[in-house]
Parts: sequence; structure tokens; C-alpha cells
Amino acid sequence: MNRTLALCLALAVATAARADEGSDEARLNARLAPEVAHQVSTLVNEARAAGLPTDPLIARAFEGASRGADAAGIVNGVRRQSSAQASARGALGPGSQPDEIVAGASALLAGVPADSLSHLRLARAGGSLVIPLVVLCDLVARGVPADVASVAVVTAARAGATDNVLLRIRERIHTGIENGGAPAGTTGEVVRQWLRMTAGRGRHGEGPGGESKRKTP
Amino acid sequence: MDPEREEKRVDERIRAAYRQPSATDEPARERLIARLASERTPRAGGLRGWFAVREYHARPVWVFATLVAVLAAGSWLGARFAGRHAPIAMAPVAGPSDASTLPVTFVLRAPGATRVAVVGDFNNWDASATPMAHSGSGDLWVLNLRLPRGVHLYSFVLDGSEWRPDPAAPLAADGSFGGHNSVIVVDGAGGL
Repeated sequence: MNRTLALCLALAVATAARADEGSDEARLNARLAPEVAHQVSTLVNEARAAGLPTDPLIARAFEGASRGADAAGIVNGVRRQSSAQASARGALGPGSQPDEIVAGASALLAGVPADSLSHLRLARAGGSLVIPLVVLCDLVARGVPADVASVAVVTAARAGATDNVLLRIRERIHTGIENGGAPAGTTGEVVRQWLRMTAGRGRHGEGPGGESKRKTP
Repeated sequence: MDPEREEKRVDERIRAAYRQPSATDEPARERLIARLASERTPRAGGLRGWFAVREYHARPVWVFATLVAVLAAGSWLGARFAGRHAPIAMAPVAGPSDASTLPVTFVLRAPGATRVAVVGDFNNWDASATPMAHSGSGDLWVLNLRLPRGVHLYSFVLDGSEWRPDPAAPLAADGSFGGHNSVIVVDGAGGL
């Protein structure tokens, strides 16, 4: 009886995987040249076999097509995304959520060192890293040196900064840079200011800006 | 009288009323029981048999195995025929309004633009899938969508050719195609 059950389950899993493959291939063929679709499909199947998210790879291929990239550019873009996702999962740990892997891949592609992702995981064990990784990637994309941005976000996370706090820190830095501040200096100053403000209140302070709202669950 | 005490008094009276047993009408109850007892059990023959309540016995493991087999066959057939005849769902523009999606509003100030669209992983980066509406005054373009929960990358496309990230949102890495996208995290808890 147990063998029958196991067989049925294996059949269901194999069939579902085949259905996913067929569906992805159809989506790719509908939008890309056959040769490009085939190469991308191979990368997608490899990612699936490795347990990595596959939708971002297909999306990357479509983005390349929409932006007018040539065949090699599209395949290269998908390969970079896949490689970054694998590295992100390695740095974040095997239990990482798909959204964390995608956000982590974006941070790596922006130039954030992989060990920063591991430090972030340690700084916020058990919590979602999606927002910290998005903030980290955004800072680097806006010209903050990757090491400075990493130290800033990891330090804030280690000090108990919530997602709301990190988003407000990001806004402060963004405003400072827009007003002519040097990206690295502005980042350091904003984070130091928040640390000073929270030092007297203990962890989880909700500055900067004097607000004390808590994130509602 | 103190309004708070008055409120408590009324509240207590209401509670007491609920605690009282309801008056019983014994003759009516007996009539109801007699009527139920005299009703015939419906016959399950012919067409009515399809609507009759029946009792079956089955081993849970076989029910489960049958269910799995049916689902697997359906999935396989669906993928096979979807691949041939309906290869792509291009635009989940106003996606299903279930709990897995949340409403999102995109806004862009684009002076001089005659067409603005949102492209992203939620619409296969198709510039014709989700055009934004001109607000009618000024240079604002607006679009309401329902997006699945999770991290999404997107950009604006102005007049069919100029790609521009959302100035109000965090930037994603340059994804190899020459230009930053924006990031939106749809999580129902404030997100981005």
C-alpha cells in the first residue's frame, strides 16, 4: 500500500515538473527566437533542478527582448541572473525564501559582496531579509560604495532596525545625495545619527526623524 | 445618573435576558416530532437516485491515490494542450482579486510624454500590456493593478522607447541590458 502511495506521489511530482517545463517552454517560444528560447529554456531547467526560482530567469529574458537586446545578450543576461541567484542562496543559506534569493541576486549583481549577505543573515536571524537587501541594492545603485552600504545596512540590522526604519534610512540617504551630499559620507552620517538616537532608547527605535511609530504586524 | 453605570446596568439586563430559558411549547414540539416520524424516506430509484443521499465506504489511501492520479493526468493534459494552443498569458493586467494579489498604484510625472506604460515581470515586460492613464490635468500618469505578493521589478516606458525607473522607488541592479529597473515589494504590510 505504501509503495502504491509513494508511486502515486512520485508520478504527481514528475508530472508537475514536466508541466512546468512545458509551460515555460511555450511561454519562451511565443516571445523569443527558437534558438534563444531553447538556450534560455535549458538554463531555466537547470535552475529548476537546482531548486532555484525560475520565473525571474524567464522575466529576465523577456526584459532583454523588450529592451532590444540581441540573442547573445539575452542568454547572457539570463545566465548572470541564474548565477547570481545560486550565489545568493549560497550566501543566505539553504533555508532562504525565493524572494530573498531574488533580492539577494539583485544585490550581488549591483556589486554587493557575497559575505555581506551572510552577515545580514546573521544580523537578522529568523527574519525576512527582503527589505534589507532591497535597501542595500538601492544604495549601491545610487552610488554608495558597496562596502559602505553593506556596513551601514548590516550595522543597522544588527542594532535592531525594522524594515520601516531601513526604508526611512534609505529615504534620508537618498534625499541627502540628491541635495549634493557625497554618497558614502551621507550614508555614514545618516546611520550614525540613527544609532545615536536609538542608543538612549534601547533597540528597535523607529527614527530617524523623531517618529516613534511601530510597524504593525 | 452616571452614564457609565447606566450603560453597565443596561448591559447586565441584556445579558440576563439571554440567560433565561426560552418558553417551550410542548404540544407544538410533539406535533413536529410526529410529522418528522411520519415522513417517508425518499426513494432513490430512477432520476431521483442521482440526487439521493448515499453512504459509501472507501479506504482513505485509495481516495488519495485516485485524487493524485486524476490531478496528475489533468496537469499533464493541460500542459500538453496549453503548450500547443494557448502558449502564453501575456497580460495579467487586472489579475484575480484573491488574497494572493494586492492592489498597487503606479504614478509617474512625465512632462511631454504622449504614451506611458508600465513594464515588469508581472506582465512579461510587454509595453503594450499595461498602458497608464493620463490623469487629465498636469503631467501625471496613473495605473492601478493587482500584483501577486513578492518582489517585482518594473520600469516605465515613455512613448514606446524611453525606459525610465520609478523615481519614487528603490533601484534594482542593472540587469545586463543597460538600465536600472525599480523594485516593488508587495507584501501587504506596508512594503515598498
